[in-house]
Amino acid sequence: MTVRTLFIGMDGATFTVLNDLTSRAAGAPVMPFLAKIFEEGTRAKLRSTPNPLTPPAWVSLMTGRGPGHHGVFDFIRAEERAEDVFFTLYDSRDCRVETIWSIASRQGLKVAALNFPFTAPPPKDLNGFMVPGFIPWRHLRRNSAPHDLYDRLKAIPDFDAKELAWDFEQEKQAMEELTHEDRENWVKYHLPRERQWFRIADHLLREESPELMAVMFDGVDKLQHQAWLYVDPKQQSGDLSDYHQRMRVLCLDYFRQLDGFIEKLVVAAGPEVQVFLASDHGFTATTEVVRINAYLHEKGYLKWKEVPDTDAGRRREDSMFAFLDWQQTIAYCRTPSSNGINIRVARHPGESGVPPDQYEAVRKRLIRDLEDLKDPATGERIITEIHLREDVFPGAAMHDAPDLLLVLRDFGFVSIKNKLPVVEARAEIAGTHHPDGVFLAYGPGISKGATIARRNITDVGATLLYSLGLPVPSDFEGKVPQAMFTAEQLERRPVVIGASTVGTARNDDAAGMGQDEKAQIMAQLQLLGYME
Amino acid sequence: MDRFTQDTAEKTVCAIVEDLVQDWGLELAEPIGPRTMLVADLDFASVDIIQLCVALEQSYERKLGFHDLLMKDGSYVGDLSLAQVAAHVESRLQ
Repeated sequence: MTVRTLFIGMDGATFTVLNDLTSRAAGAPVMPFLAKIFEEGTRAKLRSTPNPLTPPAWVSLMTGRGPGHHGVFDFIRAEERAEDVFFTLYDSRDCRVETIWSIASRQGLKVAALNFPFTAPPPKDLNGFMVPGFIPWRHLRRNSAPHDLYDRLKAIPDFDAKELAWDFEQEKQAMEELTHEDRENWVKYHLPRERQWFRIADHLLREESPELMAVMFDGVDKLQHQAWLYVDPKQQSGDLSDYHQRMRVLCLDYFRQLDGFIEKLVVAAGPEVQVFLASDHGFTATTEVVRINAYLHEKGYLKWKEVPDTDAGRRREDSMFAFLDWQQTIAYCRTPSSNGINIRVARHPGESGVPPDQYEAVRKRLIRDLEDLKDPATGERIITEIHLREDVFPGAAMHDAPDLLLVLRDFGFVSIKNKLPVVEARAEIAGTHHPDGVFLAYGPGISKGATIARRNITDVGATLLYSLGLPVPSDFEGKVPQAMFTAEQLERRPVVIGASTVGTARNDDAAGMGQDEKAQIMAQLQLLGYME
Repeated sequence: MDRFTQDTAEKTVCAIVEDLVQDWGLELAEPIGPRTMLVADLDFASVDIIQLCVALEQSYERKLGFHDLLMKDGSYVGDLSLAQVAAHVESRLQ
C-alpha cells in the first residue's frame, strides 16, 4: 500500500491568523512549513455550513453533503415531546449519509481517520483505522477501530489516553469565569494533546501506509476561543500588558509546534502524496452578548421555568440547556451553539405549542420581532440575517433543524441565559466562528502558488475522493475545484462522477442524558466560547 | 419476562460493562454483577452512562429507548444497577 492522500484538519483555522504567522515581513515566520505550502500550493477560503459550527461542518466535510442531508446540526440533539423537550448528544449514528471513510473503504482503499468528531461509534464497514474525536478517554478503546487498535496505541512511547482525549473533569474545573492563570493553563493543556494525535498519525503513516491518512488538530479552535485577543493580528499593537505578551508567546508556540507536526507528517507521507488541509470554519472577534431567550421572553414567546433555590436548581439555571415552562413556550433557542429558534408545534389537539395552521403566521411575526432587535445607539440590526430552514437546510433531515437560523452582526453565538440586558457589550473581546475557513493543497499535480475562488466545505470530501483516484458520488453536493489541480493532472486523470452513495441505517430514538452529563458537556462548551 | 431471558440480558450487560471499564483503574470490592451500581460502585459519570447506552444499542443493533430508564417523573435517576439496565433492555426486546 502507498499513501496517496494526506488530509490534515485544523479546527477553526483562519487566514486572518495564518497569513500573519506565515508572513516573512518581520523575519522568519512562526509557521515556516505552512508558509511553504502557501507559496508552492493552492489556497482558497472555505465557506462553512450555514451555521458555521464544528458538528455540522465536519460532518459536511466528511460526507460532501449539507446538514439538511446528513442530519447533524449541533453537539446536542433535542427531541420535542408533547410536554417536554428531551436533550441528548449527537453521535455518528445520527449521520444519515455515507462518509468518505466508508466510500473509500468499500472500494478497497485503506483509510486512517483520527480525531474527527462524530466518528464514534465507528462504521462497521471501515477498512482501516479510526480513533474518534470528542470522546472521553474512558471510551476511546471501545470506539476505536479495529478493536485491537487501542492496545497498539498503548505501545507507542508516551501514549497517554487522558492527555489525548477530551477530559471532562479538567474542563469542569474551568467552569467558573476564567482567571488569567486559568486561561494560561487552558492553552497549555491543549499543547500536549496535539503531540499525542501527531504521534498516532505518524505511527499509522509509517506502519500501515493507508491510502488516505487523515488527522484533525482541534487545538486551533480551542485556543482561539479563549485566546483570540492574543492571536488576532489587529489586537497586537499599543501598550500590551505583560500577561498579554506572555499569552501571545504561548499561543505562537502552539502554532509553531503545530507547523512542525504538519511538516513531519508531510515528509513521512512521501514526495508523491497530495496533501490537503482544511478547517471547518474560520474565526473572528465577538464583541457583545445577545441573550436571545431573554428577548423571546420579553416578546411573549417563552416562559422561564421556576428554578428551586437548591444546588441542583442553581446548577440547572447555570446549565445551558433551555430550561423552560414548555406548556407556555412556543418559540425558543435550545442551545447557544445552535444560533437557532425552534417553534413548538402542537402535534395533537390539546397539546402545548402552536396549532399547525398557525405556524406560518407565528413564524412571520417572530421574524419581524427578531428584525426589530436593534442597537439603540445606531439603529443597526443586532441579528443581521434570519434564514428559513427550508432555504438553508434542504434535505431529508430538514425538520430536525431549527425553524430559523440567526446570524448576529458580530458572528457571535447567542446566550440562552435568563439574564438582562438582552444585548450587552463584552468586557473583553472573545473568539467566535466566522463562516470562512481555509482550504489548502500541496504536492504533485497541485497548481503552484495559486489562490482560487472561495469553495464550499462540501467540496473537500469530493476533492479527497478524486485525489484517491475514486469517482465522486453523483449525489455529493461538493465538487472538485479543478483550478486546484494542474492541467496535466486533469488530463491524465479527469474528474469522474460515479454512482451515488450507499444508504446508511439510521435510528430515530436517542438515549437519555442526565443533568450531571449536561453540566459536563456545558463546561466543555463554555470553554469553547459557545456559552458566556 | 422469564428468568432465562433476564439472565441472558444480565450476562450481556455485565460483559459490556466489564469491557467498558477495563482501562479505568477501578479497584472493585466485588466482581461486576447484576447488583453492581453504575455510579456508586463504578464511578460512572453521566457521559459514561450515555456511552454504555450506545454500546448496548450497538450490541443489540437497535435503539433501546434509554430515556425511559434514565428519566422518571421528570427527573433523572441518580443511579442504576446492572440488573435494572438489563431489565430495561429485555423489556425493549420483547
